[in-house]
Amino acid sequence: MKPLPHNLPSPHVRGVGPRGFPLRLQATEVRINPVEFNPDFVARMIPKVEWAALLEAADTLHLVEVPKGPIEGYEHDEKFLRQMHHVLLEVDVLEGTLQCPESGRLFPISRGIPNMLLSDEETET
Amino acid sequence: MDHEAAQLEKQHVHDVYESTAPYFGDLQSKAWPRVRQFLQEQKPGSLIADIGCGTGKYLKVNSQVYALGCDYCGPLVEIARSRGCEVMVCDNLHLPFRDQGLDAIISIGVIHHFSTKQRRIRAIKEMARVLVPGGQLMIYVWAMEQKNRHFEKQDVLVPWNRALCSRLLSDPSQPGRKPCAHPERSHPYHPPCSVCSCSVCFKEQGHSQRSHSMDYEPLTAGTCCADISKEGEEENGFSNMLGKSFRSWFFSRSLDESTLRKQIERVRPLKNTEGWANSTVSIQPSRHSSLDLGRHQEPLSTREQSLDEDVFVEASQKQLEWPRAPAARKHLRGDQQGEVRRNGDGNFLEGANTSENSMNENDAEEGHPSASKTLRRISALDSTDSNSEETIPVEEQQPGILDSRAFMRYYHVFREGELYGLLKEHVAELHVLSSGNDHGNWCVIAEKKDNCD
Repeated sequence: MKPLPHNLPSPHVRGVGPRGFPLRLQATEVRINPVEFNPDFVARMIPKVEWAALLEAADTLHLVEVPKGPIEGYEHDEKFLRQMHHVLLEVDVLEGTLQCPESGRLFPISRGIPNMLLSDEETET
Repeated sequence: MDHEAAQLEKQHVHDVYESTAPYFGDLQSKAWPRVRQFLQEQKPGSLIADIGCGTGKYLKVNSQVYALGCDYCGPLVEIARSRGCEVMVCDNLHLPFRDQGLDAIISIGVIHHFSTKQRRIRAIKEMARVLVPGGQLMIYVWAMEQKNRHFEKQDVLVPWNRALCSRLLSDPSQPGRKPCAHPERSHPYHPPCSVCSCSVCFKEQGHSQRSHSMDYEPLTAGTCCADISKEGEEENGFSNMLGKSFRSWFFSRSLDESTLRKQIERVRPLKNTEGWANSTVSIQPSRHSSLDLGRHQEPLSTREQSLDEDVFVEASQKQLEWPRAPAARKHLRGDQQGEVRRNGDGNFLEGANTSENSMNENDAEEGHPSASKTLRRISALDSTDSNSEETIPVEEQQPGILDSRAFMRYYHVFREGELYGLLKEHVAELHVLSSGNDHGNWCVIAEKKDNCD
């Protein structure tokens, strides 16, 4: 699971947490996969990044050289884009968890796949 | 009710996909062209989700977008992952995304697996929730109206008869068969042979006459079986069963249509040698009018009209009874397609509240009394259900023909306008941009309105 998708998940469990609250990422196994650099693609991803969540994940994953936020003119800043490319697309969490900060509920990441299924009780409305 | 619906879906959607997932490993099915087009039209850099992605066949269509695949079925998701896709396991009804996080969503052959109208609406609303304003949603669902088959009801259980597949397709004399993706299972006639082989065989038997052009009419796999009957041959219950199983695969997994046809044609000699074809069954030339929604041919008496959960059961005796009821055969052919047996483990939506299910009100049915011998209708609420249970042991006496252990997948097939109506009436946050029919599916493209939740 790559950090960009991690940006997106929120538990969306009724009564358990507010919507849109980013999950906390913990990783026990991470792999770095080289991915071809496409600056346009990365540039377009930037507006979609939730920086707080990303930085937290980067910290957890001990990633270095992660920009702290979009910089002026980032679309043409190759260094910036390459750094973002690395953190968004080349880092892959193979084993770990995503945790709802409100409820503490853990979602497993296994073989690179997060399992976001809720239990019956959690889904009861 | 919702619990029962969830249980039905667990048994006849999730568990089936989970069990049959291993056979998808080799499946390289084609993407529907219009879906591909929709994906390719998305702006570069878009965040797209395929909700119900299966093995991820749409996730790599457009390399300029960031595509996420989601599916309830872990094993299928694993296959997608092994192809390098970014995927997660989740529930369409509880998408793990924040509001307005995604630029586009596709839902191809998913909503029809929800067993109540309410759940279908919820699934659509959930996808709308996570869309940005202006973001688009494409939905494909199986159509009730099919050119070469006839669904009697909107709520159907479609079998995947894996024993059929394995016995038919594992014939070593078949040329050009690629090794099964699971070599340890290559022993013929062992159950996990199946769709893996099917798909592989399908792939290879590219039929040059058939194109994937959408102008080719009809393009549904139902055509394949209709073609068989057109060729005047052994259109009997068995080949229908086979055709049905494959058709069901075709619709749900978008198997290559041309190879499917080829596969069906290949099956014919096999079935004769296997002796499955009942040689005493005389073959009537097909009357396609009977397949084309000929209401006058509809079997089954009106006695159960009031019960909406009826699902047709193919009595195993039909093989034997065909010669006796030639009139019935026509609509047997027409009607049994798509509707099939129960697997004997419970009523279809037992205890279901009829008012909540959007199962269709019965059309006026003019029954042919003779048909009632050959086709048994099982009603979820019918006290005679216990009688229908008796068909199951009989079925098991004919192994390979009617495999009562066949995986049965639940579908709610949509009538024309139903999907559109669903959105229009119940999902105010979406504005329908276009709708139509594609390869036997009703499809809709809708856009998330601004200033909505």
